[in-house]
Amino acid sequence: MMIIMHPGAPKEQIDAVIAEIEKQKLSSHPIFGVEQTIIGAVGDGHYVAKEIFEALPGVLEVQRISKPYKLASRQFHPQDSVFELDGFTVGGTEVPIIAGPCSVESKTQIIEIAHAVKEAGANALRGGVFKPRTSPYAFQGLGEEGLEYMAEARAQTGLPIVVEVMAVSQIAMMEKYVDVFQLGARNMQNFNLLRAIGETRTPVLFKRGMSATIEEMLMASEYILSGGNTRVILCERGIRTFETATRNTTDINAIPVLKNLTHLPIVIDPSHSTGDSAYVSSIARAGVAAGADGVIVEVHTDPAHAISDGKQSLTPEAFAKMVKQVKAVAEAVDRRLVSQHATA
Amino acid sequence: MMIIMKANATPQQVEAVIEKVKSAGLNVHLSQGVEATIIGAIGETHNIPTERFEGLEGVELVQRITQPYKLASRQFHPEDSVISLPGFNVGGNQIAVIAGPCSVESRSQIMETAIAVKEAGASALRGGVFKPRTSPYSFQGLGEEGLELLAEAREKTGLPIVAEIMSQVQVDLMVKYVDVLQIGARNMQNFNLLRAIGETRTAVLLKRGLSATVEELLMSAEYILAGGNNRVMLCERGIRTFETSTRNTTDINAVPVLKNLTHLPVILDPSHSTGYSEYVAAIARAGIAAGADGLIIEVHPNPAKAVSDGRQSLKPEAFAAMVKQVGQIAQIMGRTLASVEMSSKHGWA
Repeated sequence: MMIIMHPGAPKEQIDAVIAEIEKQKLSSHPIFGVEQTIIGAVGDGHYVAKEIFEALPGVLEVQRISKPYKLASRQFHPQDSVFELDGFTVGGTEVPIIAGPCSVESKTQIIEIAHAVKEAGANALRGGVFKPRTSPYAFQGLGEEGLEYMAEARAQTGLPIVVEVMAVSQIAMMEKYVDVFQLGARNMQNFNLLRAIGETRTPVLFKRGMSATIEEMLMASEYILSGGNTRVILCERGIRTFETATRNTTDINAIPVLKNLTHLPIVIDPSHSTGDSAYVSSIARAGVAAGADGVIVEVHTDPAHAISDGKQSLTPEAFAKMVKQVKAVAEAVDRRLVSQHATA
Repeated sequence: MMIIMKANATPQQVEAVIEKVKSAGLNVHLSQGVEATIIGAIGETHNIPTERFEGLEGVELVQRITQPYKLASRQFHPEDSVISLPGFNVGGNQIAVIAGPCSVESRSQIMETAIAVKEAGASALRGGVFKPRTSPYSFQGLGEEGLELLAEAREKTGLPIVAEIMSQVQVDLMVKYVDVLQIGARNMQNFNLLRAIGETRTAVLLKRGLSATVEELLMSAEYILAGGNNRVMLCERGIRTFETSTRNTTDINAVPVLKNLTHLPVILDPSHSTGYSEYVAAIARAGIAAGADGLIIEVHPNPAKAVSDGRQSLKPEAFAAMVKQVGQIAQIMGRTLASVEMSSKHGWA
């Protein structure tokens, strides 16, 4: 860490900072400039909060040099993390496609969609049963009944299921059903939930918060990793900007940046990151071209009558077309879609 | 346009708004709900400002239904605009790759870069001679001397040249030299400059402002089109967001959104939209996969010694690798990279 002193900070203040650095078992390297003194604090990698120094008299600014996360960092774990799900891997050469409705609405709806997306090339089924809706009056999800339907859809199609968990109290029940927990954007910094998920050994699809920086996202994933749950898949789902032409702004830069900073797989969610089915295929292609390890897409057999997110949901036909395009892009960047084979 | 009245608006206020709508030459469609009255103003509204109604008493909100631009809209011009430049077209099947240094620094630098990017597959040469630098103490560009050097590089390589114009007073000088006038992000809403360029017939690369919406970009393009210059290419170069790990945030959504809203070609600038050379190739591939019509890339033979933007400049070898990758993506999109023949065939002299 670099501790930058106010111009003209007296020697006593500089000495006090150096004393604190040593107290934190770091070594100090002061640089005395003409106008300002900068003190480097160097350690063996143990975590020291920068707030300890920020509050000392005479300190102008404290800058971290090393990353504030460790388990998530590529420095700590140079190889890509690759994990197995039912029938495919995430983070390796294969580019899995997760598809399904925003919400599980009924048994017939989810079974029909599950078959349709499987047919079109999906490798996993998504479907929300606890819904974090902006309005408390909007449909809140079917709860455990919805999980039963998701399990039935899995039994019929062989697709592993991805379902959002919203609260610590849902974990024990959901673990019995789901293959992958989704952690939604609104819960990215729900630290109690992160810690509780870290205690499980269920893989997690971890969505970026709407106004979270990449570093904050990696810090939040560190909560799960530090509990011992290493199967974390990051998801770029668009950020909040001034632009109003789309629901969110796809931060496509985040794909190569994350591939550089972390070993965790990264998937793109073009449904939420655009909010408009007309743009989903273009951004799915762009994501895989930029190096994403997978795609999660909202698909509904009748988008006009979907209870939620109809505007951004693809029909199964449009989804099948998207899969073909994504396949071509994947091959152009030396990846491939998951090879289709019969499931047990 | 929809004019939504306040819940407590009086019948007299509603009547006054209706009169104003009629006097603008528009038809009125009145719908009186239980809680609010909505007045639809129907007709040619793109040139009628919403402000005309917003200030009237009893008005809650005025919403545009149709787009506030016309010449730039795909509705007005359903087919893609194809802009011809010496040696290739932009906006059709060909993908343009414009490359070169941020600034023209010297004769040897621009000649070396021009030959290197041409060999690597570039179809046009970029280079700034008037530089809009954040700090007034930074290098400001070589001016006309730089234009002479760019012209010489074109002579040698056949690559058409793209250079930024910063001010109206530079128009006469620059149109003598350049094939494409670049309008930088900081000048996207320099309306006098836009109007002056609209009077020329030189092709334009219009960059999106740092905090400009897609609609504002199209309104700026409308200024140029309205002057009769219809050779406008739009450029997504990243927007300002809260994210700090990159210089800007590439608004990749803007590529398909613009292709939907406008017939004008869309170019992506991954050098500025990321700010880091290590991310340029990934975002260049993404841009073409999303449907962009071309790329503009900063290339410098010695990025560490560049007077500007070294951190985001590719070396010629990295640029060549990027062009190959982009070529593969272009192919699956059913497109090809534009290639330029040597200058003699195009009668530069």
